[in-house]
Amino acid sequence: MPWPLNIDPQQILLHWMNLAILTGGLYFLLYKPVKEFMAKREEHYRELDRQAADKLAQADQMKSEYQAKLDGAGEEIRQARAKAQQVAQQSAQEQLDQAEAQAKQIVAHARVEAERVREESLRDSQQELRRLAEEATRRLALRQDPFDQFLDLAEGGKRNESR
Amino acid sequence: MKQHKTGLIVWVGAVLLLLAGALLAGPRERAETVQEAMRDAVLHNVNQVGLFGKAVNPGLISALIVTAVLLAAAALIRIFAIPRFQYQPGKLQLLLEEAVGLFDRMARDNSPHRFRFVGAYIFAAGAYIFVGTLFELLGIQAVTVHGHPVTLPAPLSDVNAAIALGTLSYLVILSGGIAANGIRGVGKTLKEFSLPISMSFRLFGALLSGLLVTELVYYYVNLSFVLPVVVGVLFTLLHALIQTYVLTMLTALYFGEVSEPSPKKEKKASGGKKPELP
Repeated sequence: MPWPLNIDPQQILLHWMNLAILTGGLYFLLYKPVKEFMAKREEHYRELDRQAADKLAQADQMKSEYQAKLDGAGEEIRQARAKAQQVAQQSAQEQLDQAEAQAKQIVAHARVEAERVREESLRDSQQELRRLAEEATRRLALRQDPFDQFLDLAEGGKRNESR
Repeated sequence: MKQHKTGLIVWVGAVLLLLAGALLAGPRERAETVQEAMRDAVLHNVNQVGLFGKAVNPGLISALIVTAVLLAAAALIRIFAIPRFQYQPGKLQLLLEEAVGLFDRMARDNSPHRFRFVGAYIFAAGAYIFVGTLFELLGIQAVTVHGHPVTLPAPLSDVNAAIALGTLSYLVILSGGIAANGIRGVGKTLKEFSLPISMSFRLFGALLSGLLVTELVYYYVNLSFVLPVVVGVLFTLLHALIQTYVLTMLTALYFGEVSEPSPKKEKKASGGKKPELP
């Protein structure tokens, strides 16, 4: 008994075979290679995106590091300035103390020297006086010199005045 | 401006001349009446073509030619175009990527759990329906077993081709159900028992209606002016797109439905079962 509408199972099977060949052929020749290429390109751009994101993250990290360093540098500068001021003050104080000590030393030395000069002058003048006295004594002892005469005269005049 | 006017007059004159000639020549002696032509367009039981010693419907010849053309084009593209693909695509590459991407996205969207196989299948089915429907525009002639010339129709205007594609799509859906859910998948697929019939006859009806209108138009020479541009080209293009979209979408949709993993039933806490001691 023929099928209605001229349906032919043999021809249906031939169409199936035809469709199976077409599906397999198009899959291997077109669908799969194009999809693989698209996946490869997608992976390429995803990799670029990942690299860009990594670089962005690195840049952000570097920025934060440099910002931290910058913030630290401000503090460091402040500390260094304070330390330099402290050192300068300490140095000035040391120089002041040193100058004061040196001044004291100079004054003490000057006093000692002055004392020494005074004593030496005293000693020299005493020695000179002694020498003069000795000379005068010696001269008096040896002869009547004009000085003795003068003294005699001086004594005689005093006597007349007293009268 | 004067040349344009002359060209226009020549063109209109040629058209009128051809129209007058066609009308005066009168209808040729026909081998069949319009009723017979329409009946044969549906049944294909008269104008059959020989294939390896067997008389087959011309739709099968069309299907084989369409497949050969598609595979040859795919092979040429594979050999010459795909190795030269660039990351910034040209026009052909863009067209191919869009075609593949369209069916791939359709498969992913409608069948998110299993989409590789159905994507490849609907790509092939879509290409077959689209190119096969446009094939009738070429008007390739074949010789019947009775020695008469016959224009090869769209493959899917043959009921056997429509049934083959509809049932094959159903088998693909069934395979998705089995792969994802085993016996339960078979049950889910068989639940849609009307699907192969609806798919087959939807395709057949759509393509056949186009074929009948085209047969009718071309049967009468008086209708062969201007009207074929709308009926033959625009309608064919339109229903090529529509039928491609409908069958591939339905296949992907039902494939996704039957291949969706069934939710596991939560075991009811049995009152009699003692909890295990550590």
